[in-house]
Amino acid sequence: VKNDRLITGNFAAAWAARLARVDYIPAYPITPQTEIIETLAKWVREGLMDARLVQVESEHSMLTAAGAASLTGARVFSATSSQGLLYGLEMLYNMSGWRAPMVLVNVSRALAAPITLAPDHNDVLAARDSGSVQLHAENAQEVVDLGLLAYRIAEDRRVRLPAIVNLDGFFLSFTREKVDIPEQAKVDEFLPEYKVADPFSATRPVSKGSSVMEGFAYSYFHYHIHEAAQRAREVLREASQDYESLFGRRYGPVEAFMLDDAEYVLVISNSFATLGKQAVVSLRKDGVPAGLLKLRMLRPFPVQEVASTLRGRKVVAVFDQNLSPGSGGILYPEVTSALYHLRDRPKSVLPVVGGLGGKDITKHEMMAVFERMRALGRNGETAPAPMYLMRDDEMARVNRMLSVARGVQPKK
Amino acid sequence: LNAQDFPLYGAERRGAPVTAFTRVSDGDILERGYIFDPDISVVMDESLLDDPLANPLAGLRRGGVLLVNTRRSAEAYRRTREDITILTVDLTDLALKVLGRPVLSAASAAAAARVLSIAEASLQRAVADELEEIGVGGGLAAKNLELAGLIYAKLKPMRLETRELGAAETLVPLSVIVSGSGSEDAVSTGNSYLRRTGDWRTYRPVIDYARCTDCMVCYAYCPESAMSVKDDGRISIDYDNCKGCLICVTECPLRAIVKQQEGVA
Repeated sequence: VKNDRLITGNFAAAWAARLARVDYIPAYPITPQTEIIETLAKWVREGLMDARLVQVESEHSMLTAAGAASLTGARVFSATSSQGLLYGLEMLYNMSGWRAPMVLVNVSRALAAPITLAPDHNDVLAARDSGSVQLHAENAQEVVDLGLLAYRIAEDRRVRLPAIVNLDGFFLSFTREKVDIPEQAKVDEFLPEYKVADPFSATRPVSKGSSVMEGFAYSYFHYHIHEAAQRAREVLREASQDYESLFGRRYGPVEAFMLDDAEYVLVISNSFATLGKQAVVSLRKDGVPAGLLKLRMLRPFPVQEVASTLRGRKVVAVFDQNLSPGSGGILYPEVTSALYHLRDRPKSVLPVVGGLGGKDITKHEMMAVFERMRALGRNGETAPAPMYLMRDDEMARVNRMLSVARGVQPKK
Repeated sequence: LNAQDFPLYGAERRGAPVTAFTRVSDGDILERGYIFDPDISVVMDESLLDDPLANPLAGLRRGGVLLVNTRRSAEAYRRTREDITILTVDLTDLALKVLGRPVLSAASAAAAARVLSIAEASLQRAVADELEEIGVGGGLAAKNLELAGLIYAKLKPMRLETRELGAAETLVPLSVIVSGSGSEDAVSTGNSYLRRTGDWRTYRPVIDYARCTDCMVCYAYCPESAMSVKDDGRISIDYDNCKGCLICVTECPLRAIVKQQEGVA
């Protein structure tokens, strides 16, 4: 039985927390995340959730409280965005060191300066080395489903790390679309109560994250974090099977879209994957062997899935909605290094940077990426120059804004 | 049937222009975000038609429908574009009559639903659901449903056969993007001249100079600095920027400022 509702990505995130029966929600508001916390606060007040929601004074305190609560055996949820994630980032590293699981929803928003509210992934990818598991959602259905899967992964004894579920601000957070909200009884079956073997409490004080000073001791703990993060792959595989048997939806670390016999493959994550799929469908109608590989799990990075799905393809493009200045897109080197050892790796892998600060991507721009891939397929170029997406009409608007900033009155 | 909606709002206040997009499809919706080429464009405030920043006609597909909230006839807008159908309906007037205030959400939804042949029962359920979501029930909800019904009955469904305008788009190379200094300062003192925020008004305050004693109470209360003192020492209202909040009407101790509905002589 489907329980279809038209809800926003933010509302879907709140549903994940509600269905997971979380115990504790330390929170600090930031656009575009705020609606998640508002919704949870309303549900707690109305008695629809048996949870404690506390507004703290910063994201740094928020994650400190989250970590401490998690170690007592509470199931913890919180959400943030952008500057908030960076402000709390120090404590995210601590949480993985404490081996304190939680689910943290990040509603992507590009980082200042200049300041904006719209999304790109420099915020969440800044947390990629923090020892947290990262699952990235394309649509509101994935937000609620990945939110529940994230608890199974984070709390599993083999993992015990914080998990981030990422959704794009505006394009997903404030977009309403059809979502089948899972049935509570089935969620309870999928996600039993969180039990920690050695809970820390007032009567059982312990020291977490003690100073070690010696590098070998530090190395010991950090290799453990790495190993635990690696194990998140097999836990996702198991949890996903259970999820499918209960809810009929299966989520691997990647999603293959029209990849059978595809020669030109776009690799992309998050909500703009929808736009990539539209281009693929349109190209397929014209007989062009186009396909798309969506990255859903970014930590641990799905090296094997990326390698096995991209081997033998003619040309691949990696769409990065982020930019590491002085290097380029962040996912590009991760994808290409997964392909390096393959004898039959694609000859050409095109770096594409687009959608920074929520810059919209038109059908024309997506098609231009595929056209470039096809040109590379014809000329065999192996080290293509990156595409940095920007349209002439957008550049004209930039110039107009610059003239306003300089105090020049534009002609009417 | 699948549907998706996406509102756009920034750091602006109530009364400021907002944009929202809705997609409806029999199949999967493989789009999100902005709609660049709508089949139908509903303009809730006609002053936005002349606003270069809003530009609600940009991208409207050939054969598409422009629905304008206005007291003017469709004929008045014929000049805008020849290749679209223009419909006009006075949503504000009906909202004022039924709700007593110019709140147009249910009215606009009803207009669009009718043009798109969406069943009235679905419209009524959607309006009720939306209002319930924001905590509006009882009499006000009933009035919104009545308003939606009135507007639904005023319009006719249309068969839409549209095609893209096909405007050319070109990608700009990085060398062009980075040709500036990239560290430009904003040195102008303001750019409000680019947007006549006074266009947002439903009501305008009008000073009755026979009663006004230039006591300056309105000057002190105006949140937009739209009150100024002219050379002759008298108070005057900057209608380009007055947003019609009517605080001055409330605060004037002599009742020397009255409200007049915009567009009504």
